[in-house]
Amino acid sequence: MNKIKIVIFIIVIICFWSACSKIETVVIEPNKSFVAPDNFPKPIYNLDKNPITKEGFELGKSLFYDGILSRDGSISCGECHRQDYCFTHHLHDLSHGIDNQIGLRNSSALQNLAWEKTFGWDGGVFDLDLFAVSPIENPVEMDEKTGNVLEKLRKSTKYPAMFKNAYGTTEITSVRFLKALSQFLLSLVSANSRYDKYIRKEDGGNLSETELAGLSIFKQKCSSCHAGELFTDGNYHNNGLPPTERSQAIITIIDGVKKVSIVPVYDDGRMRVTELSSDKNKFKVPSLRNIEATKPYMHDGRFQTLAEVLNHYTNTVTNTQNLDPILQQNGKSGIVLTDTEKMQIISFLKTLTDRTFLEDKRFTPQ
Amino acid sequence: MKTNNIFAIIALLAMMSISTISCKKSEEAINPNDKNLVVLEFENRVGDKTMTTETYKNGSGEDFTITTFNYFISNISLRKEDGTLLKFPNQYFLIRQVDEKTMAPELKDVPAGNYKEITFSIGVDSIKSVSDLSQRIGVLDPTSYGDDGMYWSWNSGYIFLKMEGISSVVPTRADGRKLFAMHVGGFGGKTSVVTNNLRTVTLPFPISATVRGNIAPEIHLFVDAMQIFDGKNKIKLVETNSVHSPAVAAPIADNFLKMFSVDHVHNDVL
Repeated sequence: MNKIKIVIFIIVIICFWSACSKIETVVIEPNKSFVAPDNFPKPIYNLDKNPITKEGFELGKSLFYDGILSRDGSISCGECHRQDYCFTHHLHDLSHGIDNQIGLRNSSALQNLAWEKTFGWDGGVFDLDLFAVSPIENPVEMDEKTGNVLEKLRKSTKYPAMFKNAYGTTEITSVRFLKALSQFLLSLVSANSRYDKYIRKEDGGNLSETELAGLSIFKQKCSSCHAGELFTDGNYHNNGLPPTERSQAIITIIDGVKKVSIVPVYDDGRMRVTELSSDKNKFKVPSLRNIEATKPYMHDGRFQTLAEVLNHYTNTVTNTQNLDPILQQNGKSGIVLTDTEKMQIISFLKTLTDRTFLEDKRFTPQ
Repeated sequence: MKTNNIFAIIALLAMMSISTISCKKSEEAINPNDKNLVVLEFENRVGDKTMTTETYKNGSGEDFTITTFNYFISNISLRKEDGTLLKFPNQYFLIRQVDEKTMAPELKDVPAGNYKEITFSIGVDSIKSVSDLSQRIGVLDPTSYGDDGMYWSWNSGYIFLKMEGISSVVPTRADGRKLFAMHVGGFGGKTSVVTNNLRTVTLPFPISATVRGNIAPEIHLFVDAMQIFDGKNKIKLVETNSVHSPAVAAPIADNFLKMFSVDHVHNDVL
């Protein structure tokens, strides 16, 4: 009898306690969606300033896939950054944005962003938290004002509650908005390719003889730029792409009348940001992780296949201003590779494909 | 007879002014615990006139109308008569010609004393320009500018000063308008050393600003947009009408140095 009383008493206490705790606090738990892989260096992004939470991640993901970020609701981040293709714009050499306008460059893969010093092909943005303002306000991408996006989010039925879940109150500020996007982007960690398992000596980490031969040649001939476990040195190089003549259509609408003018485009790369002639024709070295999924290749998406890329390095490296010295040795331009070596390198590059990342349901829109 | 009268009036005025000065002197016991505001009144001008939307002519004979004139003021300090410097760190003001509310920012809690000059930068310093997003609030919020766009999103950095307008000498754009745009920014770069267009001016006051418990001085500044064209560097609209990056903007930034002056100081007793 006494025992039963005690049990009832305890149950009552527990009920009260749990009821109280529900009312009092919003528990925002840290998320396991960001884990620095063992074979990676220390992240560059300071995660202490933006701890990733489940709710912050969900908010960021929702924003990433929402056209509300664009002027007319038509373009989300996910439009040009599709998961299946390692968050690139599949088969688009140049990305197209609002009103079917064409951008300047091929959309970059989104992965392992916590290890990036700078963002974009020219590195014009030096903080991931500041990045989203650029595509949102670019007239050929989303053509919206970020302040107006915040206004739309405040008026939406969905977002005030999501901000409350993530931050404790419904207040929607630029800091909360941009840091939530960063939380989603930082969570896009890809480190489970067959190559990673090989390096970490995990199950499934077997490389074939051809792949190992490719790795060996890659180390000798490609890894000065595509360096380290992230397969990029994070710096800017001119890889001798032959100059191309491009033009761009500029569309303006005055009093409802659409005017199209064609202007020539020459992409100076890093020089666009630094205004130093020593940076002309230089672009940031992209990671080669998931390279099989990110075609087409180069800043302007000119190559459709990895074979074309390697053929460029052996045959068409052009001595334009600031050509990287490593591609100009003994009076000869380019890299010497036999057909067999090229095949081996491509086999190796395909071991960098991380299926679990490309198919991870956590990153897929609902 | 006439001259005698004038002498008499002058003598009277002189005596009056001496007595007021001596009166002031007797009031000048400064209570070190007193604090008050110092108001910076920015009056944008073109040459010798207050800036309006009328059409002006620069020294090169080019007509122009100003539609946008914005700039950041930061790193303000005041120097006392005794030479000591009072700094106002972490205070950033965005002055916008179209918004009168922005044109008289206040320095708060200025200790009582006699101040003889002001120093400030035009723009946003490099430390703030690379700081975490959480430090970028108020006028430094990169999402807050709307159509004013005081931030380069594709080349992270604030636009220190923006002047836009219309001129008949500027080539017609695709949309049929003859617009010029002078966007001056560039804090020196974070990942690469690039042009630094942050400029700092020190401006003496014609009379000291006397902060007291009952005096909140107003510093009336003139900001002469004509100096952008006709300063140390001659800027012609026919050549320079689309400035959107630091290196190109450097000659304009050099012209900031003569743009600012303190016209007068009000030390009115509240």
